[in-house]
Amino acid sequence: MDQTLLIALAKAAGLEKALAEFPADVATAAAQAMANAGAVKVPDDPRAEPWPPMRPGVGL
Amino acid sequence: MTDPHWLTASEASRAFAAKTLSPVELVRHLLKRTEALDPKLNAYIRLDAEGALDAAHTAEKEIGRGRIRGPLHGVPVGVKDIFDVATLPTTCHSKVLIDHIAKTDAVSIQKLRQAGAVIMGKTATHEFALGGPSFDLPFPPARNPWNPDHHPGGSSSGSGAGVCAGLFPVALGSDTGGSVRNPASACGIVGHKPTYGLVSRRGVFPLSFTLDHVGPLTRTVADAALMLDAIAGHDPEDPGSTATQARHFGRLLDRGVRDLRIGFVRHFHETDMPAHPEVTAGLEEVSRVLQAEGAEVRTVKLPSLDEFRGINRVILSSEAWSIHAPWLRERPGDYGQLCRQRLLPGAFISAGEYIGAQRRRLQLIAAVEDVLRDVDVLLCASSMDPSSRLDDEPETSRTYPRQARAPFNVTGHPALAMMAGLSSGGLPVSVQFVGRYFDDATVLRVAAAFERATPWHKKHPPIG
Repeated sequence: MDQTLLIALAKAAGLEKALAEFPADVATAAAQAMANAGAVKVPDDPRAEPWPPMRPGVGL
Repeated sequence: MTDPHWLTASEASRAFAAKTLSPVELVRHLLKRTEALDPKLNAYIRLDAEGALDAAHTAEKEIGRGRIRGPLHGVPVGVKDIFDVATLPTTCHSKVLIDHIAKTDAVSIQKLRQAGAVIMGKTATHEFALGGPSFDLPFPPARNPWNPDHHPGGSSSGSGAGVCAGLFPVALGSDTGGSVRNPASACGIVGHKPTYGLVSRRGVFPLSFTLDHVGPLTRTVADAALMLDAIAGHDPEDPGSTATQARHFGRLLDRGVRDLRIGFVRHFHETDMPAHPEVTAGLEEVSRVLQAEGAEVRTVKLPSLDEFRGINRVILSSEAWSIHAPWLRERPGDYGQLCRQRLLPGAFISAGEYIGAQRRRLQLIAAVEDVLRDVDVLLCASSMDPSSRLDDEPETSRTYPRQARAPFNVTGHPALAMMAGLSSGGLPVSVQFVGRYFDDATVLRVAAAFERATPWHKKHPPIG
């Protein structure tokens, strides 16, 4: 992740202290987040609902 | 007679009823054993000897008067230190909560007390049930009784090590990405993650609301069923709790596996994440044993481990961030490095990405349900490797995520891990069984059949 963007996102999340004290951990976390989110194949079907289902009475 | 510390809960209960052993005698014996062994194992964060002896005295009096509450009456239990036990600290193995004293019992603790169980104390965990073994926390990491140089799995690491070492016969753990089944796999015991919603999580410090489960760690499958009988049940104050009538989880234990259809998920350990050869050999042996016992074993295919893992991590990071954000902003230095690194990704995941993962999750659930329409139970790997040395951080980092447990936190299906053999290095290798929603009894049935047919549950670690 671009360093400027990383800093902006971390500050937006209120992580100024973590950014100052543990910059490597914040950078590692941002890279992990991108990799994890990138591994998810989000459904193409706009009707695909999330879990738990948004229908009352339907669960496990 | 079996050494008291190797008695299962069922055996201890029978000995209490027959008056060949009393709860107080058993607790005193286990306290002495703890004093001798725990300095090497670090299973406990907080041993509550006084509370345990008081509860054992009460149980002894009740049993003596013929008022036997059930099979857990007088039975010692270890409790992972993310469960609230009234008047004891719930530290989550973290400096962040080092002074936090629980005011009331978690629901699962209440239920165990109602069943007459004796709470021995609080056991080690990975910090906030996340990450891995760490040396920068207020308490040392638990160690594996099979070889204290190796980790015992986690995050319910002290619960696993304590059951394995005979410090208590049964324990409670929590499982968000495999944290009951991992120590069961590493320590060669039984760990059962019940169906999502079966056991209340109220009073247990949350990690990820839609992935968190509470489950037992035991030395036998029958004891896992007994524990589940005690702790399962609807809790209207746990939003994830389901109003199910599922009960008597041990009712099928003696039925064997004849005519059951078992789906072997080979691609998890053969291609998605190639396992250590001794783990692969162990899984093939499990398949052979179950076929010899009369089951039909067929190969089945699920979505890939990578997909499950990505979804588990996005959801876990996002939900955990919503819990930990205030502390991560104000006092990031109070976390150990590993936990901090695992919690911070949630700050960088968007709402859209989180919901996207939850939408894909429903499709993965449907894919697993499709397979479970054709088979009764799934057989697959739990850990892909025997546990690594605690001082080998690169190897621990490499092997810790190599597992096939997280898929069933994503889907919520019941899943049990147990010992399937010993590696050439003398460390347990494991297997996992997975069942249909609320059919935990059939998962336990298959596990019991495997247990009866093999010697592994009779093996104890060489620690005295």
